[in-house]
Amino acid sequence: MNDKRRVAITGVGVVTPAGNDVESMWARLNSARSCGAPITTFDASGFSTRIAAEVRGADALPLTGDRKLLKFGNRSHRFALVAAEQAMADAGVAPTARDRHRWGCVVGTGMMTVSFDELASVQANAAPEGELDAAKVLDEATSNDPMAFCRSQSTAGVSLLTKRFGIAGYASSVHTACASGGQAIGTALRAIRRGAVDRALAGGFDSMVSPVGLAGFCLLSAVSADNDAPERASRPFDATRNGFLLGEGAGFVVLEEWGAAVARGARIYAELAGDGNSLSSYRITDSHPSGDGPIQAMQRALRDAGAAPSDVDYLNAHGTSTPMNDRSEAAAAAVVFGADVGNVAVSSTKSVMGHLIAAAGAVEAVVCALAIQRSSLPPNANLRDVDPDCAHLDIVRDAPRERRVRVALSNSLGFGGSNSCLAFRHPDDTRALVEAGR
Amino acid sequence: MRVLVTGSGAICGAGASPAAIVDAAIAGRSAIAEVASFDASGWPRRLAAEVTDYNAAKLVGDRKLLKLIRRSDVFGIYACGEALAQAGYDAHRQSLDEAAQADFAEQTGCYVGSGGGAFNVNYDYFPLMAEARGDMGAFGRELASTVNPMWLLRTLPNNVLCHVGIRHGLKGPNGCITNHTTSGMLAAIEGAEAIRDGEADRVVSAGHDAPIEPQTMLYYHRCGLLAASALRPFDARRDGSLLGEGAAALVLESEASAAARGAQPVGEYLGGGVACEGEGLLNLREDGDGAARAIEAALADAGLRAGDVGLIVAHGNGTPLSDRSEGAALRRVFGASMPPVTAFKWATGHPLAASGILDVTLGLEAARRRLAPGIATLESPDPACAGVSVARETRAVASDVVLVVCRGFGGTNAAVLLRALA
Repeated sequence: MNDKRRVAITGVGVVTPAGNDVESMWARLNSARSCGAPITTFDASGFSTRIAAEVRGADALPLTGDRKLLKFGNRSHRFALVAAEQAMADAGVAPTARDRHRWGCVVGTGMMTVSFDELASVQANAAPEGELDAAKVLDEATSNDPMAFCRSQSTAGVSLLTKRFGIAGYASSVHTACASGGQAIGTALRAIRRGAVDRALAGGFDSMVSPVGLAGFCLLSAVSADNDAPERASRPFDATRNGFLLGEGAGFVVLEEWGAAVARGARIYAELAGDGNSLSSYRITDSHPSGDGPIQAMQRALRDAGAAPSDVDYLNAHGTSTPMNDRSEAAAAAVVFGADVGNVAVSSTKSVMGHLIAAAGAVEAVVCALAIQRSSLPPNANLRDVDPDCAHLDIVRDAPRERRVRVALSNSLGFGGSNSCLAFRHPDDTRALVEAGR
Repeated sequence: MRVLVTGSGAICGAGASPAAIVDAAIAGRSAIAEVASFDASGWPRRLAAEVTDYNAAKLVGDRKLLKLIRRSDVFGIYACGEALAQAGYDAHRQSLDEAAQADFAEQTGCYVGSGGGAFNVNYDYFPLMAEARGDMGAFGRELASTVNPMWLLRTLPNNVLCHVGIRHGLKGPNGCITNHTTSGMLAAIEGAEAIRDGEADRVVSAGHDAPIEPQTMLYYHRCGLLAASALRPFDARRDGSLLGEGAAALVLESEASAAARGAQPVGEYLGGGVACEGEGLLNLREDGDGAARAIEAALADAGLRAGDVGLIVAHGNGTPLSDRSEGAALRRVFGASMPPVTAFKWATGHPLAASGILDVTLGLEAARRRLAPGIATLESPDPACAGVSVARETRAVASDVVLVVCRGFGGTNAAVLLRALA
C-alpha cells in the first residue's frame, strides 16, 4: 500500500543549446550532433578553452507577460521565464485567485549572480589598480543601480516566476552546483507529497558561459580544451574524454498531485515517482571511484519510487565527459543494477547539449519525461572507443532507440558532493498501480 | 513522528553561542556599531553588526581548509561543529564499529541555507581585469597566472554542506538553499521533513551569511532599507534594518535515534510553514498575507492552536513596511490574545541567510529560560503595529512553545514552531 501522494508531470519546457523548445531540442538530441562550437557571446580567444554550447537566439526568445520584469533578470532568468512559460502552457493549468496558495515554485539557480559588464564597471571605477577602494564604490554607477542589485539576488529568479504566474505557496531556490536542477524538482515533489502544495512549477536555470564562469572551470581544468574539434569535445564514457562542454539554459516541469491531474483530464508525461539524495563526503569535485555516493542516491530514488533495479529501462546519466565522473557513475550503475546492468539503456544527453550546470538536472528530467512518453531513448553522441571501465553499460549510441520505458532514472552529481537521482514511471503503469489500490 | 533538537550552535556579532547571544540581548547589548572591516567613514550609512574578534583558524580549527572557504563558510562550519558537539555526534559515531558507522553516516543528512554569491567573491578577478584593461584576449591568457586556481571551489554556495559533510562524515539526504533571508529556516524545515519521511534519522540544519561588504551595504541603502542610527523593531521611529553576519545550526533527530544513543534533547521541532506573496523581489503586501499564511501553515503542521504559543520571535527587521505588515499578520493569527513578542535583529543585525535559523536557536534558548528578552532599542511602539506585544523589558512567558517568523526578498515567508525542553 502506497501512503504517499503520487505526483504527475503534466507540462515541460526548455531553453537549451540544442533548441529553444521541446520539439527542437528532441530533434537535435536524436540527431546525435553535438552543439559544441566556438564561443560567440564574448571574446574567449585567450582562454585555454574557447568552446561551449551556447543558447542561440537568446535575444529573440518569445517572452510573454510583462516585459518590465526583465529589468529584474539576467540572461539565465530570461531562459527561465521562457522555459517556464512553455511548461505552464503545455500543462494547460495556471494558478487562480482561489488556488494560488496551493501552488509552489522551486528552482535550481546558478552561482553567477553578477554579469561581467557589471563587474567590469565596478572594477574600472572602484578598483582601477585591482584593489577595491570602498570610497569609490559610493560614486560607481553600477553599485548605485538598484536594478543591478535585484538581478544579483539569489531569489531573483523565483521572484520573477512567482510574480509572472501568480504563485503564492511554497517558494524556494536551491543551489548544489550541478545537482541543483534535480534537487529542485525533488524538493517540489516532497512539498506536494506532504500536502504543502498541490501543484508546483519546478526546474533550473543557469548560464556560466561568461568570462568569469568559464574562467572558474578553466582554472580547474574541468572543461575540455578540444578547441579544434568542438563538436567532439563532449564524449561521455569514451576512453579519450577529457572534460565537459559548458552549456547554458533552463528546464521546467509542471508537477501536479496525481488525483488532481487525472481529475482535470491532464495529459500526463510520467509519474515523478522518486527522489534520491545523498552526500558523497569524499572530495569537493569528485565522487569516489567506487561510485560511493551516487550509489546511495540511485538506491534511495528506487526505494522512494517503490521500484526494483530490474524495473529500470533507461538511465539518463550525469555523464559529464570528465574522466572521474563517468568512471564513478559507471561503477555506481554496476552496483545498483547488479546482474541487470546490461538491461538498462544508458545515455548522457550532455554529449549533445553540453553541461547546463544548475539547469542540467531539470532539462534532463524533461528528457526522461519525453523518453517515457515517446518510448524512445535519445542517443549518446561521440562515443567511439568505450572506456573499459564503462564497458558494462548498454549505451545508446549514435541513433535513438525505440523502447517502452517502465522506469527511468536521471542522475545529477554536483561539485560539493551532492548527488540527486530522480525516478520516473510510465503513466500507464502508475494508473495500473492506482487501480490496484497501490 | 517526533523530531527532537539535540544540539544547537550559533555565532554572530553578539556572541559565539545561543546562550551568549541571548545573554547579550537580555543585558540590552547590541553588536551594531560602525563598520570596521572597510573604511565607511564617508558613507551615508555606516552601521552593521560585525563579528569583531574574527579568527578563522580558531573557529574551524583547520588552517588548510581556510584555502578552500570564505568568511561566511567559516561561520557555517563553526556553527555546525558546535551543534554536532552539543549533540555528541562525533563521539557517538566514533564509538561504533565500521559497518555501524557507515549506516549511521548514511542516515545522517545535512541541510544548509547559504547566502549564495556575495559581491566580493568576484573581486579576486580585479587584479587580472586591471592588468587586461578591457582586452579579453589578455584576460584569458593571463588568467592562470593571476587568479587562484581554487577560485570556483572557494566560491561554491554549497561549501558548508560539502565541508561539514566531509568533516563529520554525513552521507544522507542534503540540500543547499539559496533563498535570501529564509534560506536557513528552510534548511530547518527541509531537514525536519527528511526525518519525518524516514529518509534520515538525524540531520544538521544550518544557515550562514557574511553580507557586510561595500557593494551590499550601498545597495541596501539605495533600496531604502538601512537605518541611520539604530535598528528599532516595531518602534514608531524605526527607519530601516542593519546588516549582520554569522551562522546558526541545529541537530534535529528522530525520537528513536536520540533515545537509542542517549542524546539529551533541548527542544522539539513541532512544525513549519512556507508561503510567498508572489508580487516581485522587493514588494511586500501591507496586510502581511504571506507571513500570516506561513504561520497558519506551521500551526496546522504542528497540530496546535494560536493560543498554545507562549513566545513569538518576530522577523522584526526594522524597516517600516516589513514590521507594519508583520504586525498585521500577527494580529490576523493571534487577535487580541497575543503572547509576548520579541525580536533579535536590534542586537544581532540582520545576517540575511542565517537570520531565520539564528532566531530559531535564540528563540529556543529564550523559551528554555521562559523569557521574552526585551528589545532595548524600543522607545515608543508604533501605533500602526498596535497589538504586537513588544516591550523594552524582558518578560516571563507562559508556555514552552515558541514561534519564529522569517521573511525575505521575493515575498517569501517561513515560520516554525518548537517546544523548549528543560
